[in-house]
Amino acid sequence: MRWCPSFLLFCFLAVVHALSSSGDRLLVVLEDATQKDLYSTFWGDLEARGYSLSFESPKNEKLSLFQHGEKAYDHVLILPPKSKGFGPSLNPKNILDFLNKDGNIILALSGKSTTPSAISSLLIELDLHLPTDRSSVVVDHFNYDTLSASDNHDVLLLQRPGPLRPDTKAFFGGEGILALPRAAPQTLGNNNPLLAPILRAPATAYSHNPKEEAFNAEDVGATGSQLAIVSSMQARNSARFTVLGSVESLEDKWFSATVKGLNDKKTQTANREFAKQLTSWTFKETGVLKVGKIEHHLADEPENLNPTIYRVKNETTFNIEISEYNQDKFVPFEVPSEDAVQLEFTMLSPFHRLTLTPSRRTENSTIYSTSFTVPDQHGIFSFRVNYKRPFFTNIEEKHEVTIRHFAHDEYPRSWRISGGWVWIAGLWSVIGGFLAFVVMWLYSEPSQPAVSKVKKAQ
Amino acid sequence: MAESPFDALLKGESGRNTRGLLRIIILCTVAAAAVSSRLFSVIRFESIIHEFDPWFNFRATKYLVENGFHSFWDWFDDRTWHPLGRVTGGTLYPGLMVTSGVIYHVLRFLTIPVDIRNVCVLLAPAFSGLTSLAMYLLTSEMSTSPSAGLLAAAFMGIVPGYISRSVAGSYDNEAIAIFLLVFTFFLWIKAIKNGSIMWGALTALFYGYMVSAWGGYVFITNLIPLHVFVLLCMGRYSSRMYISYTTWYALGTLASMQIPFVGFLPIRNSDHMSALGVFGLVQLVAFADFVRGFLPGKQFQRLLTSMIIITFGVGLVGLIGLTVSGVIAPWSGRFYSLWDTGYAKVHIPIIASVSEHQPTAWPAFFFDLNFLIWLFPAGVYMCFTRLGDEHVFVVIYSVLASYFAGVMVRLMLTLTPIVCVAAALVLSYILETFLVISPQTFQAKSRDTSSESLRSARSPVVGISSYISKLIMTSSVVIYLLLFVAHCTWVTSNAYSSPSVVLASRLPDGSQYIIDDYREAYYWLRQNTPANAKIMSWWDYGYQIGGMADRPTLVDNNTWNNTHIATVGKAMSSREEVSYPILRQHDVDYVLVVFGGLLGYSGDDLNKFLWMVRISEGIWPDEVIERNFFTARGEYRVDDEATPTMRNSLMYKLSYYNYNTMFQTGQAIDRVRGSRLPVDGPQLSTLEEAFTSENWIIRLYKVKDLDNFGRDHNSAMAFDRGNKRKKATKKRGPRVLRIE
Repeated sequence: MRWCPSFLLFCFLAVVHALSSSGDRLLVVLEDATQKDLYSTFWGDLEARGYSLSFESPKNEKLSLFQHGEKAYDHVLILPPKSKGFGPSLNPKNILDFLNKDGNIILALSGKSTTPSAISSLLIELDLHLPTDRSSVVVDHFNYDTLSASDNHDVLLLQRPGPLRPDTKAFFGGEGILALPRAAPQTLGNNNPLLAPILRAPATAYSHNPKEEAFNAEDVGATGSQLAIVSSMQARNSARFTVLGSVESLEDKWFSATVKGLNDKKTQTANREFAKQLTSWTFKETGVLKVGKIEHHLADEPENLNPTIYRVKNETTFNIEISEYNQDKFVPFEVPSEDAVQLEFTMLSPFHRLTLTPSRRTENSTIYSTSFTVPDQHGIFSFRVNYKRPFFTNIEEKHEVTIRHFAHDEYPRSWRISGGWVWIAGLWSVIGGFLAFVVMWLYSEPSQPAVSKVKKAQ
Repeated sequence: MAESPFDALLKGESGRNTRGLLRIIILCTVAAAAVSSRLFSVIRFESIIHEFDPWFNFRATKYLVENGFHSFWDWFDDRTWHPLGRVTGGTLYPGLMVTSGVIYHVLRFLTIPVDIRNVCVLLAPAFSGLTSLAMYLLTSEMSTSPSAGLLAAAFMGIVPGYISRSVAGSYDNEAIAIFLLVFTFFLWIKAIKNGSIMWGALTALFYGYMVSAWGGYVFITNLIPLHVFVLLCMGRYSSRMYISYTTWYALGTLASMQIPFVGFLPIRNSDHMSALGVFGLVQLVAFADFVRGFLPGKQFQRLLTSMIIITFGVGLVGLIGLTVSGVIAPWSGRFYSLWDTGYAKVHIPIIASVSEHQPTAWPAFFFDLNFLIWLFPAGVYMCFTRLGDEHVFVVIYSVLASYFAGVMVRLMLTLTPIVCVAAALVLSYILETFLVISPQTFQAKSRDTSSESLRSARSPVVGISSYISKLIMTSSVVIYLLLFVAHCTWVTSNAYSSPSVVLASRLPDGSQYIIDDYREAYYWLRQNTPANAKIMSWWDYGYQIGGMADRPTLVDNNTWNNTHIATVGKAMSSREEVSYPILRQHDVDYVLVVFGGLLGYSGDDLNKFLWMVRISEGIWPDEVIERNFFTARGEYRVDDEATPTMRNSLMYKLSYYNYNTMFQTGQAIDRVRGSRLPVDGPQLSTLEEAFTSENWIIRLYKVKDLDNFGRDHNSAMAFDRGNKRKKATKKRGPRVLRIE
């Protein structure tokens, strides 16, 4: 338990600085400083969670996501610009570089203004698609706020989302109604497995450009739950990128608004709670998995840890320690009920794929383990744990071990094999017979000594 | 004649002693010449292991010295054939490594601090000294004249056909195997002459050593039975033969089965069946011989005839039955290619792709043997004239080895010893005829010509009496010998002393320029990559990467797994999109290609490329098609007219990536293939250049990880270059949108 003190120290530091597991420097890109007050509750919530916010205008020449080649901020929150673009420091390449260096980004869009083409091409790079006119909003004639949008039907009222799939954890769930005014819809492409929608539009929604007078039924790109209002991309290095369709939902006004659906009673919005969930997920306060110790050993030699070589048909045990970061500390990771962490024992293809079961819990982690027999095939195998689920950071562990053949003295001896007794008997009978013959030959008297004497005499 | 002061030394008892001393001195000198003529490469370059296979032997020897014999025996090598690994301890001939290990430990024990590398480098020259001694012994058995043995020893010491495999640094199995071959044959001749169990057992002992050292032991396994068989057919059955053959076969087979790599082959493999068959035949003949003493002639004839027919029939049926049922392994592909030189090219491209498996070019015989090659037939003829048991052996050996040397370049090595024997017999005969001052001694000799010899040789030999003819003959022989020495030295120095790891060339001003790209790149790998970074290259370089860079490789020169080699060939000859998953699946971190285009180094990968294509086509005939690499007119081109398949293949891209930046636009020239390259060089997306050696001979590429954002590498590269991605094309049927 050598790691315990340092681990506790780490936890301590984390508590002091921020709740996030990956730093507290948050850059808010906000073009119009006067708009800052619109979101004061949101800023207050973030600061209360330990973030140090810096507000910068994208027009600022000195703004840069990097300093000395390292990222200057840990997280970035980009609010939609007034003007046409963001300027050179926030071009798509810089943003992808920032993600490559483990930075996290929330990109807020708004249906009120046209999304800059730079943002659009960045999203296309991630296989996230905006409507071609880039200024559509999501309209739903069944789930809108009758108080504020009785004409335009563009303030959506939605339940908070449950788990994306039965085998994933719901990070954004809970009670309450979300109000999403003038949301810019996104559609998710088929080619990027890293994308996951956080909040989808209801089945009756569609995307509509309010500036176009005539409604063109032919040109509806996507409808219903094909539209995402909040979507996320978690890169392979676990950097998180969230697109929030409706920036207005973060405003103070909507944090505490009273809304009323078509057939519902008046209720308070849960936007504030949802904004907290969204930021804490994106800024890695939740859904962060950490792998602690990985141990494997022969089943009957637990003291000899992580040998580099096994023999075929050995019994081995594999343990992996996984913790989950939750708001301010690491807690034991529990696999969602319909899911399993699996171990693959692979050479070119998996020879074993085994479910790891929790064997022990420490204060901060769960130890998953399994035992199995090494296959009867020598080679360079690897223990692989490849656990990639939406909203959890990726676990991709690979530990190579060599599986050798039987050494020449590890086979059973010949007399232990009953089929070999025939040959052993044959062998010894020949040896015995030969010895007997030699003894007989040596000690048997020559029959005619007289004759030989005669010959010698000659 | 006046008494010369030397007479006291040359006549009588002291004369014999003097000659014995002289013989020892000559043999020592021959051995010293044999050793020293092999040191060119050490003096010119450095004490370095050469070529390819020696690097593996060297690495295995280091393992043996470090870990001891037991772990060497059970060695599982996880740094080759990734991810399959190789049961190295059970799939190699350990004789070479164990020999140098023993030498190393003995020297250490004698408190001589020696590096194992130097032991390995100098092992081949040391054993070549021993080979010439063994050659002396073997030839002395063939001829009564002592000069034949000395000449044979001298020939063997410096003949290029043997030097080609035994220069310093050429640490290969043949280094000790040729000594063992010659010595085993000497012991066999001794055994069959004396009919002694001791010599037969010694033959078996050295045969066992030979089995542990070289796969070419099969040559002995077949030659000795053939010798016995021919003697039997000549009606020369004797108890001497029975004793020596049965002793050798029983003990030798047991000894050979102790080598894990050989195991049960001697009783299951067709290559070994002749020895077993002759063993049975000798028993039958012995039995028949025994029965003959008790039966009258006519009955015996009938018995013999029926016995021969029955035995032959049963044996043949049994052999066919066992072969069909698979108990006896069918003939191996390498064996077939011995009989049909076109066999390998059609059926086993991997065997055909090795240059030393090609048929020998005729000039090579003169190049490797010089004037010995035309003395050789005369020597064989002389053996015919004498035709003792041992001379039959020489004749059989000559016929077999001549054929095999014509089929495969590398088998020139087995021909060389018998050529030396035959040539030495002839030359000593000539010298004895012409160097003797008084001819009387010859007439005395000619009377006791054995009755076994041919009729033409029975007429009495008349000596040469003319001094002029003696002088002419002797001086011409001396000139031939001097030319032979000059030729051998020249060939050794110019053809066989290049380490091939280090290349030497001449600058325009005549000074030597060392091209050391191989080692530069291998040491780059050693210094700059993680210890278990997997390197993919064509199999030729596997042993060198393992030995010099100490990094795991996918395939190496031990070509035991054709499929795995074909996989590498497929990765090299396919498009990047096909290759990348293969590279990922095999955990490849770096890809190494050899490119000679800048320097005009013709042994590069693009010239071997068609073998990669052929070998992988053998496994995936639908995916890799050789025809697509040729232009419509059937040319193999790399310039503008190269086919799209060629230009998109990974090998082409890796060879020429960034190559055009070396030249002005449109001026890029490949000096090996002598063609002007396309203006636009190939683009790489899934790999990135990691290292290129000074003369561009070795190029290393790092395999990229998957894209961080889930894009394919092509679009990621396009994005990095600043190309905007086109919006999803609209008019392609209904859009499929995901809702999950």
